[in-house]
Amino acid sequence: MFKAIIESEKLKETIEAVSSIVDEAKLNLTPDGLTIRAVDPANVAMVSLTIKSNAFEEFTATDGELGVDLNRLSDIMGMAEKAETVELELDEESHKLVIRMSGLTYKIALLDPASIRKEPKIPQLELPASITLSGNDMKRAVKAAEKVSDHITMGVDGETFYLEAEGDSDRMRLDMLKDQLIGIKSGDAHSLFSLDYLSDMVKSAGKANEVTLELGKDFPVKINFQIAGGSGEVNYLLAPRIESD
Amino acid sequence: MTSLCVSCKGKGHCGRPACPILEKFKPLGTTKKLSDNIFGSSPPSVFVGRYGYPHVSAGPLVPPDVVGKEAGTFDDPGSWNGLGIGDIVRLRSSLVRSNMHFNVKDAATPDSMLQKTQELALSQTPVDTEVWFYKAPRMDLRFDGILSPMGPAGEVTKLDIAQNPVVPRQVDRMVGDCDVAAADAVKEMYSADISTDHINRLLSIGLLGKKRKIVPTRWSITATDDMVGKMLAEDIRYYPESSEIQVYSGELHGNHFEIMVIPGPLAFELIEIWMPRAVWSGGTTHVEADWEDHNGKKGYSNLGGGYYAARLPVLEHLHDLRRQATVFTIREITPDYWAPLGVWVVREAARYALSLPPLKFDSIDAALTDMSIRLNTRTDEWYHKSSLLDRRLNQRTLLDFL
Repeated sequence: MFKAIIESEKLKETIEAVSSIVDEAKLNLTPDGLTIRAVDPANVAMVSLTIKSNAFEEFTATDGELGVDLNRLSDIMGMAEKAETVELELDEESHKLVIRMSGLTYKIALLDPASIRKEPKIPQLELPASITLSGNDMKRAVKAAEKVSDHITMGVDGETFYLEAEGDSDRMRLDMLKDQLIGIKSGDAHSLFSLDYLSDMVKSAGKANEVTLELGKDFPVKINFQIAGGSGEVNYLLAPRIESD
Repeated sequence: MTSLCVSCKGKGHCGRPACPILEKFKPLGTTKKLSDNIFGSSPPSVFVGRYGYPHVSAGPLVPPDVVGKEAGTFDDPGSWNGLGIGDIVRLRSSLVRSNMHFNVKDAATPDSMLQKTQELALSQTPVDTEVWFYKAPRMDLRFDGILSPMGPAGEVTKLDIAQNPVVPRQVDRMVGDCDVAAADAVKEMYSADISTDHINRLLSIGLLGKKRKIVPTRWSITATDDMVGKMLAEDIRYYPESSEIQVYSGELHGNHFEIMVIPGPLAFELIEIWMPRAVWSGGTTHVEADWEDHNGKKGYSNLGGGYYAARLPVLEHLHDLRRQATVFTIREITPDYWAPLGVWVVREAARYALSLPPLKFDSIDAALTDMSIRLNTRTDEWYHKSSLLDRRLNQRTLLDFL
């Protein structure tokens, strides 16, 4: 069984964090909250998300799985006002998700969890460098890079976090010194990433107060931040591109 | 001649009253004298012009004095593979276009002339038709980047259908149901093996959807290719990935296709190469590319209707095989494509290439080397335009780090 009440904003944040990677996802329910783990069809980007039950105003669930069409859900959540609470309930008989908000009731069809792409194995990575910065700064850096290129290099040089983008004719470089960051752990880090993917991830991460990046040399980047007022956590993993000489 | 011609294909973007490229094909048509009354079987075929939208001219196409089965070939590109470009132009130029004038919204409340045109469009087989004109139709061969060439046209005074149309059951159901959205009707009919030409004809003459409207043929062709393609892609996304790298190759009317099927999530890219002296390109090579990854396409392709026409056979192929794959496609247009035949050439050329046995390769590089042997244009002239190959060859996956 599953029944929960949550502020609409928190639910929207949760959906957005996952829908930037996949269109359909499996929600794993436990009495303590819910988790989602998904990888995009090209195996390039991964999301793993946890929302604890205390993010909800009310939360009752037994262990189970729900297959959800995220675009559908996000479309319906567009009807909810910012401050309003939304009630979610699994109708076991029809196997539909009932969504209630200020007088409105939706019943949406769930997907067969077996039809959704298998949950990925998570690479176990020990990444040498780590940077913590404001979500807003992260968003600005990515936006700056999009103006000149499709790719961005992220790296650490001493106690400076740098981002570089190189287009056919134009270049961008952004240096963030220690005092502009919330924290930095130096290490050998320099990797190239596709902005297609990173821009989608930053839509969610950009709203967080703190975003932690873990980087290595030609290794995936881990992007970690909190959502739902600190009761939820998002971890992205994005594979690097091969640097052309 | 500039690259403007390659993207415009006779739509008039240069501001000239008539397209200089298209004008020079006019003498190709037959010059048979026509009277003001013609009788023949419409293949069936209807045409809706786009000038003056929402006030458009529309009506059936009829080959004078050709009746029965033979008439069907006049609007069936699938049966033209053995013909030369000149033969096709001659065949099309003998089709007479009958013009009547409607507002696109008339589709919902048709007068008797539109009703007859709609009735004819329902048929799967040729329909005997008699048309009376104000004056004998004059030779006016028309070419276009999307549409097949068309012959003389005349203003209609009276139209008669002398035969009952043969209407497939599924067509009858979808046309009779005003509560079915056009996209759903297209889906239903396609699943029931109604041809895309037939679906396009119904959409164009305003027989599908909730709020019915007449749609200019030029738009309805691409709308049909896109709707059917999207519908196939929805299924394909759930199919297992193909297991080997294959290259399909084939050419029709100077449209040379190289199609590489790569194991991976559904994605499609088309690189269009207009060689010097192909119909729209003038003296230089023009290369344009567009693609979509597994998320599908948003917005209209910069390659226009040709993108959707090339994508459809590829998706049909994957759908038949029940496999998803990343498909890299090159369409090289050679000087052999000397007169524009319409976007069906793209569809049929890709279909033809995919009907031939593929070659198998161990790597994308080996496949590219093989493809380049059959292409006239050097690899370095198009390779950098490919986003799909760039992503495929330079983006690592998380599986590399497990």
